[in-house]
Amino acid sequence: MDNNIASLRKDLNMTQQELADKVDVTRQTIIALERGRYNPSLLLAFRITKALSKDLIEDVFCFSELNEKK
Amino acid sequence: MIGKSEWFERRRYGGWGVRPCKWQGWAYVAAMIIPLVAVNAIGGISNDDRNVVMGAWIALIILDTIDIMAHLKKDERSFMHEAISERNSSWFMVIVLSIGFAYRIIDGARAGRVEIDPVIAVALVGAVIVKAATNYVLERRN
Repeated sequence: MDNNIASLRKDLNMTQQELADKVDVTRQTIIALERGRYNPSLLLAFRITKALSKDLIEDVFCFSELNEKK
Repeated sequence: MIGKSEWFERRRYGGWGVRPCKWQGWAYVAAMIIPLVAVNAIGGISNDDRNVVMGAWIALIILDTIDIMAHLKKDERSFMHEAISERNSSWFMVIVLSIGFAYRIIDGARAGRVEIDPVIAVALVGAVIVKAATNYVLERRN
Protein backbone atom coordinates (compact mmCIF):
# COMPACT_ATOMS: atom_id res chain seq x y z
CA MET A 1 0.00 0.00 0.00
CA ASP A 2 1.42 3.37 -1.03
CA ASN A 3 1.14 6.43 1.19
CA ASN A 4 2.17 10.06 1.36
CA ILE A 5 2.72 10.24 5.11
CA ALA A 6 6.19 11.81 4.74
CA SER A 7 5.07 14.73 2.56
CA LEU A 8 1.93 15.42 4.63
CA ARG A 9 3.97 15.25 7.82
CA LYS A 10 6.54 17.69 6.45
CA ASP A 11 3.73 20.04 5.36
CA LEU A 12 2.64 20.14 9.00
CA ASN A 13 6.27 20.65 10.21
CA MET A 14 5.94 17.50 12.25
CA THR A 15 8.84 15.20 13.11
CA GLN A 16 8.60 11.42 12.84
CA GLN A 17 8.77 11.21 16.64
CA GLU A 18 5.92 13.71 17.05
CA LEU A 19 3.72 11.75 14.66
CA ALA A 20 4.69 8.51 16.39
CA ASP A 21 3.70 9.95 19.78
CA LYS A 22 0.41 11.25 18.37
CA VAL A 23 -0.66 7.85 17.01
CA ASP A 24 0.95 5.86 19.85
CA VAL A 25 3.51 3.86 17.88
CA THR A 26 7.32 3.81 17.82
CA ARG A 27 9.37 6.01 15.48
CA GLN A 28 10.59 2.83 13.76
CA THR A 29 7.00 2.09 12.71
CA ILE A 30 6.64 5.57 11.18
CA ILE A 31 9.94 5.07 9.31
CA ALA A 32 8.75 1.67 8.01
CA LEU A 33 5.42 3.19 6.94
CA GLU A 34 7.04 6.11 5.12
CA ARG A 35 9.35 3.75 3.27
CA GLY A 36 6.36 1.59 2.28
CA ARG A 37 7.77 -1.47 4.07
CA TYR A 38 4.82 -1.89 6.41
CA ASN A 39 1.07 -1.94 5.85
CA PRO A 40 -0.76 -0.57 8.89
CA SER A 41 -3.93 -1.92 10.44
CA LEU A 42 -7.14 -0.07 9.59
CA LEU A 43 -7.19 1.43 13.09
CA LEU A 44 -3.65 2.80 12.75
CA ALA A 45 -4.38 4.07 9.23
CA PHE A 46 -7.38 6.04 10.61
CA ARG A 47 -5.28 7.39 13.48
CA ILE A 48 -2.55 8.56 11.09
CA THR A 49 -5.14 10.17 8.79
CA LYS A 50 -6.56 12.10 11.75
CA ALA A 51 -3.09 13.05 13.05
CA LEU A 52 -2.23 14.44 9.62
CA SER A 53 -5.42 16.57 9.66
CA LYS A 54 -7.06 14.69 6.80
CA ASP A 55 -10.67 13.55 6.65
CA LEU A 56 -10.39 10.66 4.24
CA ILE A 57 -8.08 7.69 4.57
CA GLU A 58 -7.59 7.83 0.78
CA ASP A 59 -5.92 11.24 1.22
CA VAL A 60 -3.04 9.47 2.96
CA PHE A 61 -3.08 5.88 1.73
CA CYS A 62 -3.71 4.49 -1.69
CA PHE A 63 -4.18 0.84 -2.52
CA SER A 64 -2.38 -0.41 -5.58
CA GLU A 65 -3.08 -3.95 -6.75
CA LEU A 66 0.20 -3.94 -8.67
CA ASN A 67 2.29 -3.14 -5.57
CA GLU A 68 0.54 -5.77 -3.46
CA LYS A 69 1.51 -8.48 -5.96
CA LYS A 70 5.21 -7.62 -5.77
CA MET B 1 7.84 -0.55 40.69
CA ILE B 2 11.44 0.81 40.56
CA GLY B 3 12.60 0.59 36.94
CA LYS B 4 10.65 2.39 34.21
CA SER B 5 9.65 0.59 31.01
CA GLU B 6 10.76 3.63 28.91
CA TRP B 7 14.36 2.88 29.87
CA PHE B 8 14.26 -0.55 28.25
CA GLU B 9 13.43 -2.23 24.97
CA ARG B 10 12.56 -5.79 24.04
CA ARG B 11 15.65 -7.92 23.51
CA ARG B 12 15.63 -8.81 19.82
CA TYR B 13 19.03 -10.27 19.00
CA GLY B 14 20.38 -11.77 22.22
CA GLY B 15 17.68 -14.02 23.61
CA TRP B 16 14.61 -13.06 25.62
CA GLY B 17 13.79 -10.33 28.09
CA VAL B 18 14.68 -6.64 27.98
CA ARG B 19 17.81 -4.57 27.43
CA PRO B 20 18.54 -0.96 28.41
CA CYS B 21 18.02 1.60 25.64
CA LYS B 22 18.61 4.76 27.71
CA TRP B 23 21.31 5.72 30.20
CA GLN B 24 18.75 5.46 33.00
CA GLY B 25 18.34 1.78 32.09
CA TRP B 26 22.08 1.17 32.37
CA ALA B 27 22.15 3.06 35.69
CA TYR B 28 19.28 0.90 36.92
CA VAL B 29 21.14 -2.30 35.93
CA ALA B 30 24.25 -1.06 37.77
CA ALA B 31 22.17 -0.09 40.82
CA MET B 32 20.69 -3.60 40.88
CA ILE B 33 23.99 -5.48 40.43
CA ILE B 34 26.29 -3.42 42.70
CA PRO B 35 24.43 -4.37 45.95
CA LEU B 36 24.72 -8.06 44.99
CA VAL B 37 28.49 -7.75 44.51
CA ALA B 38 28.81 -5.63 47.68
CA VAL B 39 26.96 -8.16 49.87
CA ASN B 40 29.37 -10.85 48.67
CA ALA B 41 32.43 -8.65 49.16
CA ILE B 42 31.62 -7.32 52.63
CA GLY B 43 32.99 -9.42 55.46
CA GLY B 44 31.48 -9.99 58.89
CA ILE B 45 28.14 -11.26 57.62
CA SER B 46 27.05 -14.83 58.29
CA ASN B 47 26.30 -17.02 55.28
CA ASP B 48 22.65 -17.34 56.32
CA ASP B 49 22.19 -13.56 56.49
CA ARG B 50 23.99 -13.15 53.17
CA ASN B 51 21.73 -15.74 51.52
CA VAL B 52 18.59 -14.05 52.90
CA VAL B 53 19.68 -10.60 51.67
CA MET B 54 20.73 -11.93 48.26
CA GLY B 55 17.56 -14.00 47.88
CA ALA B 56 15.36 -11.01 48.70
CA TRP B 57 17.33 -8.76 46.33
CA ILE B 58 17.18 -11.29 43.47
CA ALA B 59 13.42 -11.71 44.04
CA LEU B 60 13.07 -7.91 43.82
CA ILE B 61 15.05 -7.87 40.55
CA ILE B 62 12.88 -10.65 39.06
CA LEU B 63 9.61 -8.97 40.10
CA ASP B 64 10.75 -5.58 38.82
CA THR B 65 11.89 -7.11 35.50
CA ILE B 66 8.46 -8.75 35.08
CA ASP B 67 6.83 -5.37 35.83
CA ILE B 68 9.07 -3.62 33.26
CA MET B 69 8.29 -6.28 30.62
CA ALA B 70 4.55 -6.03 31.31
CA HIS B 71 4.60 -2.25 30.82
CA LEU B 72 6.91 -2.22 27.79
CA LYS B 73 5.47 -0.06 25.00
CA LYS B 74 4.48 -2.16 22.02
CA ASP B 75 2.80 -1.10 18.84
CA GLU B 76 1.19 -3.37 16.23
CA ARG B 77 4.39 -3.70 14.18
CA SER B 78 6.64 -4.66 17.09
CA PHE B 79 3.89 -6.97 18.40
CA MET B 80 3.76 -8.73 15.02
CA HIS B 81 7.57 -8.96 14.82
CA GLU B 82 7.71 -10.43 18.33
CA ALA B 83 4.94 -12.94 17.56
CA ILE B 84 6.63 -14.16 14.36
CA SER B 85 10.10 -14.40 15.93
CA GLU B 86 8.69 -16.28 18.96
CA ARG B 87 6.81 -18.64 16.61
CA ASN B 88 9.95 -19.36 14.61
CA SER B 89 12.05 -19.99 17.71
CA SER B 90 9.37 -22.26 19.20
CA TRP B 91 9.18 -24.20 15.93
CA PHE B 92 12.94 -24.72 16.08
CA MET B 93 12.68 -25.94 19.66
CA VAL B 94 9.79 -28.30 18.83
CA ILE B 95 11.75 -29.83 15.94
CA VAL B 96 14.89 -30.34 18.07
CA LEU B 97 12.89 -31.74 21.00
CA SER B 98 10.97 -34.10 18.69
CA ILE B 99 14.22 -35.38 17.16
CA GLY B 100 15.65 -35.89 20.67
CA PHE B 101 12.46 -37.63 21.80
CA ALA B 102 12.46 -39.98 18.78
CA TYR B 103 16.17 -40.67 19.18
CA ARG B 104 15.70 -41.74 22.80
CA ILE B 105 12.83 -44.08 21.85
CA ILE B 106 14.75 -45.65 18.93
CA ASP B 107 17.91 -45.96 21.00
CA GLY B 108 15.95 -47.61 23.82
CA ALA B 109 14.12 -49.95 21.42
CA ARG B 110 17.47 -51.13 20.01
CA ALA B 111 18.53 -52.07 23.53
CA GLY B 112 15.18 -53.78 24.09
CA ARG B 113 13.68 -51.31 26.55
CA VAL B 114 11.19 -48.45 26.48
CA GLU B 115 12.95 -45.15 26.97
CA ILE B 116 10.87 -42.00 27.13
CA ASP B 117 12.46 -38.78 28.31
CA PRO B 118 9.87 -37.33 30.74
CA VAL B 119 11.21 -33.76 30.49
CA ILE B 120 10.94 -33.70 26.69
CA ALA B 121 7.53 -35.40 26.83
CA VAL B 122 6.21 -32.80 29.30
CA ALA B 123 7.69 -29.97 27.19
CA LEU B 124 6.02 -31.23 23.98
CA VAL B 125 2.65 -32.04 25.58
CA GLY B 126 2.77 -28.72 27.48
CA ALA B 127 3.46 -26.84 24.25
CA VAL B 128 0.43 -28.52 22.60
CA ILE B 129 -1.77 -27.53 25.56
CA VAL B 130 -0.48 -23.93 25.61
CA LYS B 131 -1.02 -23.61 21.85
CA ALA B 132 -4.58 -24.98 22.10
CA ALA B 133 -5.40 -22.72 25.05
CA THR B 134 -3.99 -19.67 23.26
CA ASN B 135 -6.00 -20.43 20.10
CA TYR B 136 -9.15 -21.01 22.18
CA VAL B 137 -8.79 -17.65 23.96
CA LEU B 138 -7.93 -15.80 20.72
CA GLU B 139 -10.88 -17.33 18.83
CA ARG B 140 -13.26 -16.24 21.59
CA ARG B 141 -11.76 -12.77 21.80
CA ASN B 142 -11.72 -11.86 18.11
